[in-house]
Amino acid sequence: MLTRILSSLLIVVMALTIMRCGEDSNLLTETKTFTSIFDSNQFSEGFSPIDIQQTADGGYVVLGESRLIGTQLTGVYLLKADKYGNFVKFVDADTLNNPVARLSKVADKYYFFCVKNKGTDAHLASFDENLDNFTTTPLGFVNPAASLAIDQGLLLYSVDINGKQSIISLIGLDGSTIKQKGYTIGDGDDSEKPLSEHFLKTGKQFPFDVGMVSPGVYYFNGFYDYTFSLIFTDINGDEPIGIISGQQDDGGFSALTPLSSSKYAAARYNFGDNYFLPNTQIVATENRPGIDLGGLSLPELISETKVKILRSVVKEKNVLIYAADTQTRQIGLYFYDEATGAFIGSKYLGFSNPFTIGNLVNTEDGGIAVCGTTYLAGRFPRISIFKLSKEEVASNVK
Amino acid sequence: MKKLYLSLLCLLLAANLVLAQSKKKKSPAAFNKQNKENEKFLEKQWWLGVKSGVNLTKVNVVTNYAILAPTNYDASESGKKYSNFNLTGSHFTIEATFYFKHFTFSLQPTFQHSRFAYTNQYRWTDAETATNSVELNYEQEQKVDHILIPLVVKYEMTNTKLRPYLQAGIFQAFRVGATKSVTVSGIDQASGGQNEFQDESITVGAKDLFAKKYWGLLGGAGLYYNLGNNVRLNFDVQYKLGMSNVVSAENRYSNDRLAGVGDAMDDLDMDNLSISLGCLFPLRFLESGFKSLNRK
Repeated sequence: MLTRILSSLLIVVMALTIMRCGEDSNLLTETKTFTSIFDSNQFSEGFSPIDIQQTADGGYVVLGESRLIGTQLTGVYLLKADKYGNFVKFVDADTLNNPVARLSKVADKYYFFCVKNKGTDAHLASFDENLDNFTTTPLGFVNPAASLAIDQGLLLYSVDINGKQSIISLIGLDGSTIKQKGYTIGDGDDSEKPLSEHFLKTGKQFPFDVGMVSPGVYYFNGFYDYTFSLIFTDINGDEPIGIISGQQDDGGFSALTPLSSSKYAAARYNFGDNYFLPNTQIVATENRPGIDLGGLSLPELISETKVKILRSVVKEKNVLIYAADTQTRQIGLYFYDEATGAFIGSKYLGFSNPFTIGNLVNTEDGGIAVCGTTYLAGRFPRISIFKLSKEEVASNVK
Repeated sequence: MKKLYLSLLCLLLAANLVLAQSKKKKSPAAFNKQNKENEKFLEKQWWLGVKSGVNLTKVNVVTNYAILAPTNYDASESGKKYSNFNLTGSHFTIEATFYFKHFTFSLQPTFQHSRFAYTNQYRWTDAETATNSVELNYEQEQKVDHILIPLVVKYEMTNTKLRPYLQAGIFQAFRVGATKSVTVSGIDQASGGQNEFQDESITVGAKDLFAKKYWGLLGGAGLYYNLGNNVRLNFDVQYKLGMSNVVSAENRYSNDRLAGVGDAMDDLDMDNLSISLGCLFPLRFLESGFKSLNRK
């Protein structure tokens, strides 16, 4: 009988060994998906993200702006998070003001444009992935509005309100002006007033943008001849090579991403309504009203929402991800097949506290990172990052 | 595959024990033959029964996680504070047991509904204007259902009508459901006075936030009371010591509603204290009218 008991005990021990079965955390999972809200306990502080980039160490840097007391201008706020979404460091540079998108990564440095000392003079700022080695270089012109890194340097769209010009420039990484061309915004209050209010942040914020379609063909989304328009230029001729005109300051493009020389993913607004155009044809040399382009109407979005478009690969398919602010105060992500423009899924981020989009980027692991502003306790603007895994993104795509 | 192995081992264990009881030993000739047969018969017994009761849960934080990442204050100021052993859960168990010479080997499939809660607090103040302050208090209650498969060995300390026993074992738990409710209340002093408020609770299905399975060890004590001819009452106390994470690391941030209110579950081991009442019935009878229970 002792043998029987011993053999039974042996079986129990074996069962115990097999039953030691559970799920444990692993560090890889924790980098693939997380949500972080970066909080300050100061009542009067407020922070909003403008752009985000993933760093070489797997972490994230966020270019943001901070609320300044006694002015509508904003300060430059840089934030570093590690690959798990933990807070690492911030730089609150309140002598630098009104930073503009995009935050560009060139080699191991990050670049953006801003003004200094609450003035209008444009500066190029740079720093490394640890938010160290911060430098600023004056550019010699005013009111930066949007930028993009290209092979030859940094494209910049700026507005000289006094000189009544929209200016597109190619800037070297040392702050030198390689190429520049200005185009009239028109005389009078019709264009000056909304522009002044934009840069003073006392009125409507326009979705200014700048980019390159192909070598030698550039565009900016800004004011031209009294109208908020999409302007194509070679940065040589005195006149634009093509104009897609808006509706004065009541309509125009809210986002644009070239997919080829004549195919674009775009979003536009018109008197408060929003339209997505995930597969639209635009010839850079044509002049036409933007309203003719039509688009998919999305009444669930807030009026004249900020829109960001990201080209990504999901389930081995080229996908366009549109991010915008919904009426329910969430960040809506809308997925479209890049080849056909067909809608293939959506996902909404945020609940309870309001969330608004800053920008989104692809991450090295095949997922995406979305930065936005949330309002803790319904009132304190704080920077948030949603990191979605490759699988999570794929689960929202048909 | 592990489940299959487990099932096979359980069958093996049962077969082993049944085989053991089927072997007969020769008895000394000095004893009355009938009594000796009865005594020998009572050395082994199969029991089947049920028990049910209440349980209290305690969680042990393995790793802290939070959605709010403080940039200018210590994370511990807004850390979660768990209240342990203060929310009552319930459970129901089917017990299949083999008794042999004071030892009992028992398989006890259990449906366990457990509850635990935590709070955290956030506060925003203004150094220049003292009345500019807002305080938010989050109360988060988790209700989680598991099917537990415990293997238990008991030692019955006496052969009397009232039999105290000690027990030890191991269990594997499989998650079957979970909900989570969040209640936000606070004090807002920035509106010209002290405005105390409480939002409606948010209750969400939280099954995916919990691990599909976890395992643990158990120990405890109890009493058998032989009632009447063929019923055994059972009072049982068990402490289950969770040995693996009950939270799903993969789905920690998957619930947008919870992430939106700033909640992410910590990695937790879950302990559970259960108190049960039940009854057992013998499965082996020597003859019609025979009292299977100890007649001493």
